[in-house]
Amino acid sequence: MSTAPVLVAEQLAYRYPRQPEAALRGVDLVLHRGQAVGLLGPNGSGKSTLINLLIGLRTPQGGRLVHPQGAAPRIAWVPQEYAFYPELTCQENLQLFADLLDVGAAERQRRIETAVASGQLQEFVSRRARHCSGGVRRRLNLAIALLQRPDVLLLDEPTVGVDPQSRAFLLARVRELVQGGTAVLYATHYMEEVSAVCSDIVLLDHGRVIAHGDLATLLQGSEGGAPFADLEALFMHHTHRSLRD
Amino acid sequence: MTRFAHRLRQIMRLAVKEWRLLARNPHGLAVLFFMPAIFVLVMSFTLKNTLVARIDLPVAGWLVEDTHPAAQAWSQEWLDRHGGQRYDSREALRAALRARDIDAAVVVRSPWLGDDGQPRAEQVELWLGNRVQPAAAARLRTELSFSMLQVRMRIAAAEAGPFASVLLDSAATPELMGEGGGPQVRYLYELESGRPMTAVQQSVPAWLVFGMFFVVIPIAGVLIQERNEGTLTRLASFGVSPGTVLGSKLVAFMLLNWVQLAFMIAVGRWLVPLLGGPALQLDIAPGWFALMVLATSAAAVGLALLIAAHSRSFDQAAALGGGLNVVLGAIAGVMVPRMLMPPGLQTVSEWSPMGWALDGLQAVFLGDPQAGDIVLRAGLLLGFALLCLMVAWWPIRHQERAG
Repeated sequence: MSTAPVLVAEQLAYRYPRQPEAALRGVDLVLHRGQAVGLLGPNGSGKSTLINLLIGLRTPQGGRLVHPQGAAPRIAWVPQEYAFYPELTCQENLQLFADLLDVGAAERQRRIETAVASGQLQEFVSRRARHCSGGVRRRLNLAIALLQRPDVLLLDEPTVGVDPQSRAFLLARVRELVQGGTAVLYATHYMEEVSAVCSDIVLLDHGRVIAHGDLATLLQGSEGGAPFADLEALFMHHTHRSLRD
Repeated sequence: MTRFAHRLRQIMRLAVKEWRLLARNPHGLAVLFFMPAIFVLVMSFTLKNTLVARIDLPVAGWLVEDTHPAAQAWSQEWLDRHGGQRYDSREALRAALRARDIDAAVVVRSPWLGDDGQPRAEQVELWLGNRVQPAAAARLRTELSFSMLQVRMRIAAAEAGPFASVLLDSAATPELMGEGGGPQVRYLYELESGRPMTAVQQSVPAWLVFGMFFVVIPIAGVLIQERNEGTLTRLASFGVSPGTVLGSKLVAFMLLNWVQLAFMIAVGRWLVPLLGGPALQLDIAPGWFALMVLATSAAAVGLALLIAAHSRSFDQAAALGGGLNVVLGAIAGVMVPRMLMPPGLQTVSEWSPMGWALDGLQAVFLGDPQAGDIVLRAGLLLGFALLCLMVAWWPIRHQERAG
C-alpha cells in the first residue's frame, strides 16, 4: 500500500466485565487513506468491540491506537441500527447532528448540504425519517456520519434490509469516499459487498485476527493449496461450519 | 469555542430536539397537560364542600309511625323550618330516596316517647341516599339530635313552671344551628393569607406536582428508543458525553415543567371560574414559588431519568413510572387532601418526594410560607434529584458504549 497509514491498532485487547473470554486478544490493524478494508467474522468474533475501540467509545485494556500522522484522525461510524430520530425529518436529523459538532454555523450548513447531496436525500429532507423507506433511512444513516467529514469511516452492516438499488447506491458512495481518500473499515456478513468494495480484508474469530491481507492474494490460497472459489469459501475455510449462536 | 461553550450548545440543541419530539407525541402531551388539568377541574368541584365549615342540610322526607301529637308536632316543626315532605310508608320513602326526590329520610318509630314522657333517640331512624356526603349526613344527624334536645327541654321547662318556659324561650337557640350561625371557623392559612381556602387553591398545586412527575412517560419514550436504536452510541461518537445527554433532558423537561405550570395556573385562574368555581388566587411569594417549582421539577425529572435509564423497555418504564407516580401521589395527598387522612398516614405523607413538593407548593399557594419550611423541602427535593441523577448516570454511560 503506497498511501500513508492514518490509523494503526497494535495488539488491541479487551475483555468485558464478568465475561470469562476476552472479546479481543491482540488485534493488529492498519488503515490507510484511500483504502477499504473488509472486517469479517462470525457473530461474537469481536467486530463490534473492535469498532468501539477504534471510535473511542471504549478504552483498550491492552495494546494501543497509533495516529501516524500526529493529530487524531476524524473517525465516523455508521451503525447497523438506524441511529437517528424517526420522529424528526431527515433535515432535522442532519441539522441536529451537525449542531453537535464543534464547527461554525456556515461550515455546518455546508456539511449538511454536502451530506444531503451525497445521500441523494433532496426529495426527502422534509419527510419524517419514520415515513421514509429502508433505503432512504440507510442513506440518511450514512449521510449523518459524513457530517463529521471523516478521515476514517467505520461501517457496520450498512446495507441490512435495503433493496438492490439502494445497496448498489450505498456501495457506490463508499467507493467514491475511498477514491476521495477516506479510509474505510467495512464490517459485514455480505461477502459480495466486501468483494465489490474492499481491497483488503481482516478476518476475526474468537477475538483474534485469523487471516488478513490483500483480498486477491488471500483468494489464491496457501502455497501448494487450491485457490478459493470466492470469499465465502475463504471465510468458511478459516472459521469452519459450526454454528456460533 | 471553548469546551464549556461547546458542551452548553450541545445541551441546548439536544434539549430543542426533546421539545420537537414531545410536540409530535400527542400521548405525551395529553399525559403532561390534559390529565392534570382534568383532575384540577374535577377535584376543584368535588372537594368544594369538604373545605367549607358549613354545608347544606340534606332535604329529608319524614315518616312518622307514632300517632302521638308530640311526634306529629315535632316532625311538622322540622318540616316548617327545613323543608321536605311527609310520606305514608317505608316503601314510599325508599322509592323517593331511590328517585333522588329527597336526600335523606327520617323514620319516627312508635312509641317515640318513653315511659318518662321524653323523646327517645333510638326510636328515630335516619336513612341516607347513596350520594349524601358524610359531612352533610353528620350535620343532619346533629340537627336532629339538637331538635330532640329542644323538645326535651321544652317538656322539662313546662313541668318546671312558667318562669322556666319564659327563660327557655328567651334563650331560643335555633339560630345557633341555622345558616351563618355558630362560631366562625377559619383555617390557619386563612388567617395568614387573608383569603378563604378553596378547592382550586389546593387542587392546582397538588395536580401540578402530579403532572410534573409524569415527565417519566416522554423521557422514557425517547431515552429507551435512543438506547435501543443505537442513537446514544452515535451521540457518543459525535462527542456527546453521558453528562451532556442527562443535562439536555434535565434542561428540556425542567423548562417544560414551567409550561405545565403556566397551563395549570390558566386552568385554575380562568377555566374553573368559567365553570362556576372559585378562581385561583395568585398573590403568592414569587421567590419561594420559583424555588419550590425549580426543586420539584428537578426531583420529577431526576426520578424520571432514573426510571428510564434502568428500564429495559418503554412498557416497563411506563408501568413502573406511572404506577410509582400514582402511589406517590396517593401517599402525598394529591388525590385525597391530607386533612382527610388519618394522623398516621399524614405523617407518612410528609416523608415522600411528592409530599415535600406538595407541602412546599401548597404553603406558597395557600398562605404565608415560612422560609424554614420552604428551604427544608426544596433542599430535600434537590438532594433527591441529585441522588436520582447519580444513579441514572451509570447505565446511560454504559449504554452509550454498548453499540
